[in-house]
Amino acid sequence: MHEMGIAQNILEIALDAAKKEGATRITRINMVVGELRGIVPLQLTFCFSIVAQDTMAAGAFLNVEEVPVSGHCNDCQSDFSVEEYQYLCPKCSSTNIQITGGTELRVKDIEIE
Amino acid sequence: MKINVMQDVLQANDRIAGENRALFKKNKNLVLNLMSSPGAGKTSLLEKTAEKLAGKLRLGVVVGDIETTRDADRISKYNVPAIQLTTGNACHLDANMVASALPHMPLDKIDVLVVENVGNLVCPAEFVVGEDHKIMILSVTEGDEKPLKYPLMFHESALMLINKIDLVQYTNFKIDEAKANARKINPDIDIIEISCTTGEGLDRWVDWLVAHHRKKLDGLKNA
Repeated sequence: MHEMGIAQNILEIALDAAKKEGATRITRINMVVGELRGIVPLQLTFCFSIVAQDTMAAGAFLNVEEVPVSGHCNDCQSDFSVEEYQYLCPKCSSTNIQITGGTELRVKDIEIE
Repeated sequence: MKINVMQDVLQANDRIAGENRALFKKNKNLVLNLMSSPGAGKTSLLEKTAEKLAGKLRLGVVVGDIETTRDADRISKYNVPAIQLTTGNACHLDANMVASALPHMPLDKIDVLVVENVGNLVCPAEFVVGEDHKIMILSVTEGDEKPLKYPLMFHESALMLINKIDLVQYTNFKIDEAKANARKINPDIDIIEISCTTGEGLDRWVDWLVAHHRKKLDGLKNA
């Protein structure tokens, strides 16, 4: 249940940003979450709805955009998507690869009133 | 109205982890974040490590558990400074919890600090605490398919210890299968087979610690 701690952090980030703009209500939060983060979106939105109670983000829609894992081969320089956590270049079978996507955990933007 | 935010959710954690890291650097500590399922043998490993490292490297331990101070009590018997963090309901240690233990830890008198995380294969991998390496234990009673089910932890770990190998004959755990599964997720992972009961493989683990401690000191010298 690391979703609860993460939901708390999301709330704090959103509240800070909204207060700076003098908002009275947060209606939507757009998140980017990489597949490697092992986050269950349904649990995250559920946890968020609990921690947001009694704040100006109560009832806000938490939108989770999931990013699949992608990699770059340092040997043949090809870019590819990593399927089933197989860290192997599909072109040249090299294991000398770096992860280029899938580790994101970011609040992208929020919508306020 | 839409406002651009673009902020990492774990930024606060990562900032504190950076402060911990600076403190470890100053004290020349090699810091390992030790993770596994409950009952895989984290505390047993640390007891054996305390015994084996005596006279070679000075060990310190920060232990996270949901309740009780049993683990720290077990480790303290070996004259190793051990601090217990009880996390209440949290399923993992974060940088701030570890930071709260550090003032009580004689960092200038230890070489290797092990942060024994809460037993859990998911959440601890998510939070950096300022460690040099994440390491993990997989015990043969858990099943050789675990790397495929919990990829993040295996992907993040520099070392996987396969524990309880003295029991492998009583299980359907295939060591080669477990290794192959872990290397699919993380081709660079080091793997050492151990038994905390018979002592098998523990010398290799101690060699790993000594080598990585030396590497850390060399890195600090060249920095």
